[in-house]
Amino acid sequence: MNGILLGGLYAVIGIGLSMIFGIMKQVNLAHGELMILSSYFSLVFIQLIGLHPLLTLFFVFPAMFILGYLLQGFVFNRVLGKGMEPYLMISFGLSIILQNALLLVFTPDARSLKTGLIIQTLDVYGLFHVPVIYLVDFAGGVLTIGFLHLFMKRTYLGRAIRASADDLSASKLMGINIKKIYALATGIAALTAAMSGVLVGMTFTFYPHSGTQYLIIAFGVVIIGGMGSLPGTFLGGLILGISQLVGAQLIGPGFQLLSGYLILLIVLTIRPQGLLGRK
Amino acid sequence: MLQIKNLDVYYGGFQALSNIGLEAENGQIVSILGANGAGKSTLLKTIAGLLKARSGTIHFEEKKIDHLESHDIVNLGLALVPEGRKIFGSLTVLENLLMGSYAARARKSKRENLENVFQLFPHLKERTDQMGINLSGGEQQMLAIGRALMSQPRLIIFDEISLGLSPMVVKMLYETIRRINQERVTVMLVEQDVKRSLKTADMAYILQEGKVCLNGNPKHFTEEEVKQAYFGL
Repeated sequence: MNGILLGGLYAVIGIGLSMIFGIMKQVNLAHGELMILSSYFSLVFIQLIGLHPLLTLFFVFPAMFILGYLLQGFVFNRVLGKGMEPYLMISFGLSIILQNALLLVFTPDARSLKTGLIIQTLDVYGLFHVPVIYLVDFAGGVLTIGFLHLFMKRTYLGRAIRASADDLSASKLMGINIKKIYALATGIAALTAAMSGVLVGMTFTFYPHSGTQYLIIAFGVVIIGGMGSLPGTFLGGLILGISQLVGAQLIGPGFQLLSGYLILLIVLTIRPQGLLGRK
Repeated sequence: MLQIKNLDVYYGGFQALSNIGLEAENGQIVSILGANGAGKSTLLKTIAGLLKARSGTIHFEEKKIDHLESHDIVNLGLALVPEGRKIFGSLTVLENLLMGSYAARARKSKRENLENVFQLFPHLKERTDQMGINLSGGEQQMLAIGRALMSQPRLIIFDEISLGLSPMVVKMLYETIRRINQERVTVMLVEQDVKRSLKTADMAYILQEGKVCLNGNPKHFTEEEVKQAYFGL
């Protein structure tokens, strides 16, 4: 049960990565760092103003969106059309810069976004106890993916993003400014990083280097669920979450990560494009 | 309406178009012909801003457009129905058409334009929720044309629309093109079907290896002239 709830969180972690790959065919290696950056942003606002972590999203969302938009607009857009290597290198460099900047500013101490939710549990029919924080995570996951879906389906900008993923030159012929659309997409991916960063910060402790482990989770989610598919990413998140916790239950707590990766390997072998992936 | 002067287009070191000069007047149907590889698609892509010329100028309604990006050119009223249709496979028929009205000039009248497109292509009206990728070749071509019409163009360019389609469908498409032209939209056509092209056009340009070999009113062309311009000696 917890696996399912955790899966919802995992889904949000993965969706940013999936979006950028689905739309621009690029892999943003700094996605984990963007998440953790959001966690630290939230921390700053909590310490400055004493807000509840979820409320800090009012500040973290716009900040991260602008960051993502500017990143694509001024940095990544310069290497448009030059293949995957430049983007990979730039995002990798970015992840290193962010990690070390966070280390400098915040020290290597463990941090978390303190909220009473983490100790509360919900009693479900007396059968099992569900940590409320996991419910919040799951709700956050469902809401984020839900909003994203609506945006992609019902708005001109959302359709433009889907169109440019389908056919680049035809999109240009529709009057779509590809550079702006890509910047928008990265901004949105950064928004999901903000959401998952704050949720993660509330649920687990984080360090400046935590970005890497979440990047790996994001990869796991996207590979299992399939790149470029919204429902696929949600499914991927669920499966990864479940397999991790089931593995921990069955074999032992140390095997949590391993059982997740085993499932990843299995999916890669049987269906490399992911369960709901295209191409 | 459209004026091209001294256009040179290169693909890297290879010169695809040399010194192209072309004029299309308001309300005309202009046909561009030539063998495969003569440079027809290159010319169209350059006009639409997908490619950039190395030298020469393109003017659309007195405005210089050769340095503009495609999305700005569409906003001026020039639409291209690209070779291979290139519809958006994962979007529905309706969403494809709505994408056509993405350009700012066309957003307000999108309902009107949608009605017009459905009148021209009632077939599409029955399939609004179908995904682009599930349409037949003919339906995709209709969708591509409808999509271009949604941007309210003053000049619309068709790149090889008869490819892979049955003669019946092609006949219907050409009738549609004539109807579009009657609405005072200037039309430019690139076609493999020489006879049909020459019958429909007011003006024709025949390209050979990137150069204009023959141009003028196609009704005055002799068969010999056309063959020579098309294939060379």
